[in-house]
Parts: sequence; C-alpha cells; structure tokens
Amino acid sequence: MGLFPPRKVPSHLERLRSLSLFVELTPPELAVVHGLIHERDYLADEVIFDQDEEGQAIYIVLAGAVAILRNDGAQPCEIARLTSGTFFGELALLDKAPRMAQARALSDCRLAVLFREDFMALLDTHGRIASKITRQLARHIGRRLRDLASVAGALHHL
Amino acid sequence: MNGSESASGPWVWTAVIAVTLALLSVMQQMLWLVVPLLLALILYYLLYPLTRILVFRGVSSDSAAALVTAGFLTTSAVAVMLVAPKIAADALDWHASAERYLQGGMQLLAVTLRDLEASFTVFANAHLADSVAQRLAGVDLGLALRLEPAIRLVAAWMPLLLLVPFLAFFFLRDGRRFQRFLGRAVPNAFFEKTLFLLNEVDRTMRAYFQGLVRLTLLDALTLAGGLSLMGFSGALGLGAACAVLAWIPYVGSIAGGILVVLVAATDFPGQPLMAYAAAALFVLVRLLDDFVFMPATIGNSLKMHPSVTVLMIFVGGTVAGISGLMLVLPLLGVVRVIGETVGQVIGDARLMARHRQARRLRRQRAEAGL
Repeated sequence: MGLFPPRKVPSHLERLRSLSLFVELTPPELAVVHGLIHERDYLADEVIFDQDEEGQAIYIVLAGAVAILRNDGAQPCEIARLTSGTFFGELALLDKAPRMAQARALSDCRLAVLFREDFMALLDTHGRIASKITRQLARHIGRRLRDLASVAGALHHL
Repeated sequence: MNGSESASGPWVWTAVIAVTLALLSVMQQMLWLVVPLLLALILYYLLYPLTRILVFRGVSSDSAAALVTAGFLTTSAVAVMLVAPKIAADALDWHASAERYLQGGMQLLAVTLRDLEASFTVFANAHLADSVAQRLAGVDLGLALRLEPAIRLVAAWMPLLLLVPFLAFFFLRDGRRFQRFLGRAVPNAFFEKTLFLLNEVDRTMRAYFQGLVRLTLLDALTLAGGLSLMGFSGALGLGAACAVLAWIPYVGSIAGGILVVLVAATDFPGQPLMAYAAAALFVLVRLLDDFVFMPATIGNSLKMHPSVTVLMIFVGGTVAGISGLMLVLPLLGVVRVIGETVGQVIGDARLMARHRQARRLRRQRAEAGL
C-alpha cells in the first residue's frame, strides 16, 4: 500500500466516468461536470426531442434505450438504437442548427443532459475539461462519418 | 427557439405589460424585501466576473463565491473604518451645512430673478423676485433638513441592508443549483425551452445590472472630472452622488442637477456664472449619458423599443412611485423574456402535443392494473 492510497471516487462520479463522453476526466473534473448535468426520466415511447427543432443540449443515456428516427416523408425510419453509456444530439453543442432526427425512448430511461450554454461556459472557465469532452465528441463524430462512408460504399475516398 | 428572433404578438405584449405592472404594485408593498434583493442582485452581478476569474483559475465554485464575498466584506469594512470617523465628526455639522447650501441656493435664485427682472420688463412688472421670495418665506425649509428622520430611516433599513452581501453570496454559490432545481419542476417536453429561458433571463439581468454599474462609474467620473476642473471641492463625491441618484429615471436626474447647483451657489457665493456653468456641465453629462454612455453600456440589453421604455417608466412611476421608476425596466426585461418563451411554448402545437402524449403515457402507467 502506497503512502498516498488513491482516494475512492464517489459513486455518482464513477457512474459519470463510465460514460464515453467523460471517460478521460479526473475526479475533480467530473465533479465540475456533475454540477452542470441535469438528469431526466422518460417513459417508453416518450419523445425526447423532435426532428427540425432547434437543439439546446446533448443527451447521454444513463439507463434504458433510445431510438433515433428520421422522417423524410412517409414513415419514420429508425437510424440508430442507443443504450446506456452512449450519447446523442451532440451537434447541438456545436451549433444552433435544427435537430436532424427525432429521439424517442424505446424503454423507460434516464438521461443526463448537458446544456449548450453550460458547455460554452465550460470552454471559458475549464478549457481542459472542455477540450477532453470535445476530443471524445470529435472521435464519436469521426466514427459516425466512417460508418456513413462505409455504408455509402465510399470508404476508399477517405 | 431563440427568443430574440421571435416576433411577439400583441397578446403576449399585453400580458407582459400587465404582469409587470401587477408585480410592481406587489413589490411596492414589499419594499423591505425588494430593496435588499435588488441590491443583492446588483452586488451579485458585480462580483460574478471576479468569481468567474477564480473558477477559471481552478478554484471550486463554492470556494470562489466564499472568497469573493469575504473579499468584498473585508474591503467594505476597511472603507467604513476609514470613512466612519470623518462622517461621525461631520455629522453634527450636517444640519448647519444643509441649511447653508439651501441658503446658497435661495441667494442664487434671488440673484437670477433680479437679473431676469432687469432684463425683461414683464418680470419686473410682475415683481417676480419679491413674489417668489414671499412664497418661499412661508415654507419651513428647516423641516426638510432635520437630521432625525434621516437617522431613523437609516437605522430602520440598516439590518435589512446587512442582508445584501449574504444574499449575494448565496446567489453566487447556489445560483446554478437553483436553476437545476427549477428545471426539475418542468415537464420533459418544455425542458430545453426552459433551460434556454433561464439562460436568457440570467443574460438579460446580467447585461442590465453590469451595464448599470459601468454607466454609474462613467457618469460619476465624467461629472467629477468636469467639476474638479471648475474648482469644486469634493467633486468625486458629488459626481458619485449624482450618478447614483440617476438610477431613478427623471426624478433622480433632477435631484442630481439641483444638488450640483446648490453646491455651486454656496461654494462660489456672488458668482452665479459658476452655478450656471455647473448646471450646463450637468446637462452635458446627462446628454452624454443618454447618447453615448447608455448605448455603450446598458445599450439594447433589454431589447426594447425606446418608446416602450419611456412609456413604461412613466407608467411604472404612476403605479409604484420612486420604486416603480427604478424597478420597471429590469422587471419588464425579465417578464418579457418569460412572456415570450411561454408564448412560444403555448403557441407551439407540436410541443403541446408532445406534452399531452407524455401526460397520457404517465396516466396510463399510473392506471395500469387498477
């Protein structure tokens, strides 16, 4: 046992660190982010946000499952199914563009919500934390781009 | 979603104005609470940038709020300790000084009226100077200058004013927690709009109060600089007093102007030109305030048409007196943001439908198995 044994991370922060978006954060940094997070409960089939409405926040699935549906005219088409630990609506952190798709709870779920203005304030006050979150966000968007390119059969162009 | 981009309809604006006036009437009955709260809000927005600097340097939000408030209290205590002995020494002379300044003002008035009589036969025929002097002789001006009511007033308000730094501390420390607490009470369908609304209310109030403080500093320094160049003693104090008085629209400006003229007439007896020059300087500073300083500080933080602003100041004064004059604009700014957002929510059929769907789901869940 060392002279300074590692301090036990409180369970609420440990849960936050298990989310891919915050995986790089240290316990003090997690405590800062925890102060900005809103937790919301949704029932199965409840709409979380709608396609084309202006996005104000990113959502992280703490428990349950969420479907991302895109409606291009006739029938809404499920384009993704998200489970605990993943996040969605991330483009709202970057700009004020309308949502590209609808998010709907597939089962009863609990979501963590990070408001865009809080994230912007984080960029000013805790640049290190914001840069770690942004890096995860960039990796996620990069993965999504590669998946899309793969689906479109255009992987060789990247 | 963005409130500033939406055009509010006449019904929303009618409701906003009605709610603002109703709140003003209520606030007038609760000045004992409203005044400390308002001052605490001003102090909160004044100390907020310092707190942010500390947070930026890695101090936790709670510690930053405590450190900044402690720093403010210490600075205030030192300032009071430095100034209090002088105030206590001068307090006995206040009554005499106030009477002296009033007499100076009366003499200036008499000289000005005599000059007018000499220049215009109409005034000479009307015996303007004598008739005004007779009317003023009947007024017991000493009554207005008694010290005891002022001391009683200060003594009554002092305990409440001591609340101000403590309220500001809690605003600094718990403001975000309060926002989250409010957010929890909002249905899911309206959650994002509510976050946006709370942010907008905070932004509006911060822009207004921080602008007000900057405007006060600019006004005080400009007037003090001018008065100092003219040879006034205590120019900084006089400038600061006038700038703070200007927080009360119209009435405060008039009171500040009278104060400057009284001091000029007394400190420079027999030189009415100095009093006229001081009055001209005061008017110049007010014009600068209206056309240069105000747009550069408070600017369009409240995003309201000037005609609405002026109209609401008059209506606020009629409904709630001096407190109405002071409170009407920030209150209108906040109620406007809330009114516009509520108007958008109610007018958004899709959002209301989502809320109804969520309620139906919850009801079905609650009724399951009954």
